[in-house]
Amino acid sequence: MSQPSMDKADFVSSIVLTLFGAGVVVESWRLPRLEDLNVNPYTVPGIVPGFIGIFLTLSGLFIFIRSLKRGGWKLRVTADGSRRWITSAMVKRTVVTILITMVYAVVLFPNVPFVIATPIFIFAFVVATETMKYGKLPGMVKLLTALVLAVVAGIVINYVFQELFYVRLPGG
Amino acid sequence: MDGLISFLGAVGSMVTSWALIDVVWATLLGIIVGMLPGLTATLGVALLTTLTFKMGADRAILILICTYVGAIYGGSRSAILLNIPGTPANAATALDGFPLARAGKAGSAMAVATTGSVFGGMVGMIALAVIAPLLAEFALRFGAYEFFWLAVFGVLVSGQLTSLDDPVKGWIAGFLGLFIATIGQEGIYAVPRFSYGSTDLSGGIGLLPAMVGAFGFAEILTVMRQEAYEAVRSKADSVWSGIRESYKYKVTALRSGLIGTLMGLIPGVGEDMGAWASYAAARQASKNKEEFGKGSIEGLLAAETGNNAAVPGALIPVLTLAVPGSAPAAVLLAAMIIHGIRPGPLIMIESPDFVFSVVAMVFLATIAMGVLGLLLTRPLVMVLKVTRERLMPIIFVLCTVGAFAIASRTFDVWVMLFFGFFGFILRELKYPMAPLILGIVLGDILDKSLRRGLVLSDGDLSAFLVRPISMVLWVTALLFIVMTMPSIRTQLGKLVGRKSKGDSL
Repeated sequence: MSQPSMDKADFVSSIVLTLFGAGVVVESWRLPRLEDLNVNPYTVPGIVPGFIGIFLTLSGLFIFIRSLKRGGWKLRVTADGSRRWITSAMVKRTVVTILITMVYAVVLFPNVPFVIATPIFIFAFVVATETMKYGKLPGMVKLLTALVLAVVAGIVINYVFQELFYVRLPGG
Repeated sequence: MDGLISFLGAVGSMVTSWALIDVVWATLLGIIVGMLPGLTATLGVALLTTLTFKMGADRAILILICTYVGAIYGGSRSAILLNIPGTPANAATALDGFPLARAGKAGSAMAVATTGSVFGGMVGMIALAVIAPLLAEFALRFGAYEFFWLAVFGVLVSGQLTSLDDPVKGWIAGFLGLFIATIGQEGIYAVPRFSYGSTDLSGGIGLLPAMVGAFGFAEILTVMRQEAYEAVRSKADSVWSGIRESYKYKVTALRSGLIGTLMGLIPGVGEDMGAWASYAAARQASKNKEEFGKGSIEGLLAAETGNNAAVPGALIPVLTLAVPGSAPAAVLLAAMIIHGIRPGPLIMIESPDFVFSVVAMVFLATIAMGVLGLLLTRPLVMVLKVTRERLMPIIFVLCTVGAFAIASRTFDVWVMLFFGFFGFILRELKYPMAPLILGIVLGDILDKSLRRGLVLSDGDLSAFLVRPISMVLWVTALLFIVMTMPSIRTQLGKLVGRKSKGDSL
């Protein structure tokens, strides 16, 4: 990331960090002080997170002011620039990776038997990312090796965890 | 003498049992993990922790240490052949390793890296055997005040050293880690903090799912975001000339071994800084400074000696203070606790043999690393032909299953995913990961120590400042931070420049 882009990213992230730090201070203040148990006031549960929250707020403010001085507030979002960013190969690869991994971890892994879910995921991942890499669907040999890899990996990982380590995987 | 007998006994029992097989396969696996861009030593050790948690303690720790040692070394292969450090600890290796490979000396470069790694590992191992018992005895004097400062020292210094250009970001990462550690029931009155009625959150955030996310899933996203790397094509020349070349720089190797060990010893700093600091010192002292960055054998040797020396160095605070010296050492610390071992100042009283067993494990792992590295120079190059499109989905499956397997909780899979995204964003914004993880590990110590210290001193903060060991810790941290601040460094540089100019007039 170039320095101007980093300053812009710092500008936005410092606002989030400052608000988060302030939130931690407020929530720490609201934690039980256990007065009814007559506990020593120096040991109340909110004391350490409170200090951490103060530090995060102050350092968030520091980065915020620094990014302001460096011109990070000049965000200038244009439709053309956004379109170029969204359609870039880098963003496409990242989005496809996130989508496929999320479907596996959130939908397939907890609900579908492991030996079925895992080969589907691996095969889909390989085909999708190799299609992006080569600009077209991979050839028959590549598809076949991807399928073999997916099935073998699914069976081996399932065997190691379920049979050797007695970990009952979810999904039935 | 007792230590030496324990060490020899441990080596003897390992080489005459099935443990030797574990040493060989785990070190080889570590080398392969380290070689593959996108798989770090931390991820390798974290995934293997989930795979070995049903084994006996000694066997599991042996496997993890061998993987750790192998991975830090293995990263040098991709740094030399692809100009992509296999692990962050091998970034300095690429500076001179890759130019050497391009000049047709890949085999020699790999041999120099192997020699340096073995030598560094041995220097670090000796330091581990000598310093660990002394530090454990010294740490018996630590009370709440000292542990508080140790935690603060660790987070601040780690934040500083892992983010030298922008230390504030390193400190923020460390404090975010400390905050994450406060989630769940606190350790004195069992009051749930930041749980909002969730039973899963009340139990706290597990270190291993968090690390698998921050170092596994985040790395997958980072690797897939980048342009694809080219599979290796260069051929390796003879390795023996590299070993002979390394011998010429024995002073550099010794210096780098000592610097690497010291960097490993400092909480949360670890192998990356071990390599960089050794490389910088070698360049400073070298007669051929201009060769650095263009294919210097001396530079390559310094970097690889430094990072492998940091591995046993990082184990010293793990064993004696229960404070990790690096990110993979943090996983190792968690693994030791899972297996019922209690690292900390009492370790030399409760289980002194274990410390020397660890020394023996490092010794055997280092030997195995050297032998496998030299014997399998050419076959190991084949590993780099695996493309990321085929490797990453398998790694993600292992991350998911590994996070789940520790406690059979789907919640840990969510934790892994959250830390993956969070870690990916933090990396993009140039926040280092190591202080975050150190913060999670040290959060509990800092929390309890501050509150206990305040009770003991009846709220008097000066009690934290005046005790001798506390004073050493906070003054050192303060001095260190001030001296390494970019603005102060520039001012000091100007002052020194003016003084030397004045002297020469």
